Amino acid sequence: MRWIKSIGNRLRSVFYRNAAERELDQELKFHVERQISANLAAGMSAEEARRAALLEFGGVEQCKEECREARGIERFESLLADLRYGFRTLRKSPGFTFLSVMTLALGIGANTAIFSMVNALLLHPYNFRSLDTLVRVWEDRGIDEGFDARYITPGDAEDLRLTEGFFESMTTYGFQSFGMGTEGDVQPVLGCKVSVNFFDVLGVGPAAGRLFAPGEEHPGSDQVAIVSHGLWQRRFGGDAQLLGKSLSLNGRAYTIVGIMPKDFDYPVPAELWVPLALTPAEKADRSQLSLSALARLKAGVSVSQAAAALVNFSGRLEQEYPKTNAGRKTTVLQLRKELYMFTLPLFSLLQVAASFVLLLASANLANLVFARMIGRQREIAMRAALGASRGRLAQLFLSETMLFSILAGILAMAISFGSVRALRTSIPVGWTKWVPGWDGIRVDGNVLAFTVLVAAAVGIFLGWVTMLHTSRVEPNKTLKETGAGMVTPAKRRVRSALVVAQVIFALVLLVCAGLTIQGFVRLASVYQGFEPASVLRVEISLPEKAYADKVKIQNFYQQLLRGAAAMPGVQVASLVTNPPASNVDNQTTYFTIEGQAAVEANEVPSADLQIASPGFFDALKISFLAGREFSDADGPDSARVVLISSGMANRFWPRGDAPGHRIRLGAQDSQEAWLTIVGIVGDVRQNWWNPLTRPVIYEPFAQSPQRSMTVLLRTSSEPTSYVPGLREVSRPIDAGVTLRGINTLEEEIADSIAIVRIMGILMGIFGMVALALSSIGVYGVLSESVAQRTHEIGIRLALGANPRDLMNLVLGQALKLTGIGLAIALPISMAIARAMASLIFGVVSMDFAILGAFTTLLLLVALLAGYLPARRAMRVDPMISLRYE
Amino acid sequence: MSKPTDLVQGTLDLLILKTIALEPMHGWAIAQRIRQVSKEVLQVNQGALYPALHRLEQQGWIAAEWGESENNRRAKYYALTKSGKKYLQSEQANWERLSAAIGLVLKTA
Repeated sequence: MRWIKSIGNRLRSVFYRNAAERELDQELKFHVERQISANLAAGMSAEEARRAALLEFGGVEQCKEECREARGIERFESLLADLRYGFRTLRKSPGFTFLSVMTLALGIGANTAIFSMVNALLLHPYNFRSLDTLVRVWEDRGIDEGFDARYITPGDAEDLRLTEGFFESMTTYGFQSFGMGTEGDVQPVLGCKVSVNFFDVLGVGPAAGRLFAPGEEHPGSDQVAIVSHGLWQRRFGGDAQLLGKSLSLNGRAYTIVGIMPKDFDYPVPAELWVPLALTPAEKADRSQLSLSALARLKAGVSVSQAAAALVNFSGRLEQEYPKTNAGRKTTVLQLRKELYMFTLPLFSLLQVAASFVLLLASANLANLVFARMIGRQREIAMRAALGASRGRLAQLFLSETMLFSILAGILAMAISFGSVRALRTSIPVGWTKWVPGWDGIRVDGNVLAFTVLVAAAVGIFLGWVTMLHTSRVEPNKTLKETGAGMVTPAKRRVRSALVVAQVIFALVLLVCAGLTIQGFVRLASVYQGFEPASVLRVEISLPEKAYADKVKIQNFYQQLLRGAAAMPGVQVASLVTNPPASNVDNQTTYFTIEGQAAVEANEVPSADLQIASPGFFDALKISFLAGREFSDADGPDSARVVLISSGMANRFWPRGDAPGHRIRLGAQDSQEAWLTIVGIVGDVRQNWWNPLTRPVIYEPFAQSPQRSMTVLLRTSSEPTSYVPGLREVSRPIDAGVTLRGINTLEEEIADSIAIVRIMGILMGIFGMVALALSSIGVYGVLSESVAQRTHEIGIRLALGANPRDLMNLVLGQALKLTGIGLAIALPISMAIARAMASLIFGVVSMDFAILGAFTTLLLLVALLAGYLPARRAMRVDPMISLRYE
Repeated sequence: MSKPTDLVQGTLDLLILKTIALEPMHGWAIAQRIRQVSKEVLQVNQGALYPALHRLEQQGWIAAEWGESENNRRAKYYALTKSGKKYLQSEQANWERLSAAIGLVLKTA
């Protein structure tokens, strides 16, 4: 209670200053009057009584001041006064204020913007109940299955779910693309088949309607669907009566039973959920890694404990089912960490870079503030001489620098709203829809709190630098000096240290920026094995109901290709299931080689499966290496054939005799037809993260028709100008078919690596800012030190010193400072470059040319920064410089 | 009396607290009372009295209230708070222990 009252007193003292003052005044006045009347009563005359009373009391003002201090008014009041004073000082030098506040705002703003991404993507990626107890579970075959391949067989998943002891609950799911809608208006939508307990395991409820009920996982009673908020808004116009309505998915009628909340999109980018209905045979399957699984750890069970328990589990399955489960290890990874593997390196790099920019800006500003402090030395000495304590001075300068950072923080916040939105929308949806939490990137309470913290930290840092300066003020000496005040060696060392720090940050930032930009340029040319120029891509998804049999599908696409090829300017018209740069992995398949000895379950080879029309390889100009290409003769009734990629040929037929061999899709017990390898085509980089030499099997479209295909047209002029023509061709065949995903292949490639491009741009900006700030910093310090030596230089020149020697003296100092900075920065840059190379998907690699170029650049900047002030000093007439001071 | 005895800060606090323990008093009366009770030995300097009063109030040992003085003027009366009473007791005990100890040393040594 006491402290409440005490605070009340203080506040009263500050806000009702006049009232408190009046009371104090009255109290003391009463004392004097009471003494006077006492003196009168003792027989003194009126005059005498008054004089004696006042004399006895002593200094009234001094007493008042002590009373105020006893009440603790002092600190508050003086703080307000200091802030007012600081504000006036800032207003007096608007140029300095503007420059410093802008520099700081830039540094803080960069951090705010990047932090908003880190906040959304790393700290709050999902809105699930106790996110940290959710883990992904999958089976590892011990071979590289490509990016993001974490699957489990339905049989093993069921075993795991029924095993007591590991998880509180477990659920499985798998992506499925649907043609949504009825004839004439079928839209492709990416959905997810989920176990009925899927949402319960995540701990998420519907925004409207209900979740799936037990029993709905049985084939036949599974025709219920839950839609995402986005789909509800976009596709159904936010229809309030949506629940209970019927929805056609792949030609089957589903009832919409629920709508999910706005922020739910797991697993991204699913927009629709239906029950995962497996037949008993499918459920028992232990050979196909076909499902994804999520589990919630039991309370008190750590991830590593679960992982240890799973080793035993895998061992047991291996013994029980050696034919299917040999060599498969069940693995867990925290859901949150799964994300990190992808986004952490990108955004931590950006955050580190942004914080370097801020450090650089702070070092720069510290230097400016320091320079100003030297000019204010006499003021400080005067204040000290008048009795200001060190603490009091600290408060004065801290409030000044805090003003800077507060202004900069406010500015940064104001800008951040716009810049964060720009960042969020600068990357195409085609990429960001795969990043959980992307739409959550915004300036929220966390981001604002972060900004305030950063601004406060900068303010305190600057205040501390200032204090370094005041600590060595000797009033007696300073006040006696005539000039602007001398700079002691200690102070010069601090300023030099700041310059060295700036050089370090600048080089590190420049190297990072250079490497990122180089990485981007390299990525742009990473799509190898085909020629993307002049190719149009268009996706078509035929409705399941109207195109139930293969002949119909076949007919539609055959007519479409014939019509498209007949269009003037179209060189080749072709089909493929998954064109390069689609941001989607190819479908993978196990395959068995005819005549090869039986292999262990975990050694069954797998490959990407592509289905392509004969023109595909011509359309993309994929090289043709051996055997023959697909021809129109490879029809549904002729012998089944495949082409394979050269990577696959080299791996499985290293002697170069692949053509003629037969393979079949599926594991060893597969009943699929045998397919004869008739030729080898060049390797194609499918997506920028895929290795170039991934094995690919190409089946001819005529022998394995699919409803969803991508049409690729190689054209002789601007590809998009052929879109109306293609519509004209498609309409008479089936007016109900819509063309989607229309884009040129070149743009598709640019979009697919947009994130790296944005990173490159951001890093480039950071690097430029770093270069500019550090140049200013080096120049500022050198020009000042030269200015201070003008007198000395004048004497030397007058005594006949060689101007060149003097120039060398100044340049030597510049080189020394920069050299120290570079010597420290070089190993740091190399370490960071190495870390980047290993983290950012291998697109960045250590490059000594970049390191050398930026080192040289910084040295040149330093030389220039030293040369300019030195030349100015040389030109001054010795007589004038001697009179200087 | 030559020069009024300088009071150690803590001692002044103790004297003030003890003085107003009986009844609320204003500053002038406190000074008078201390002088009378100490038989003119302890002279309280006003320049020290009022800051001490304000400090004690700030610390919550005493509370101030405006009231009517004996000569019908508005005066600020200080009274001991509950926590002030406890504080006074412990300080007084401390003081007695200390002075007894000093007395012992002075007598015997």
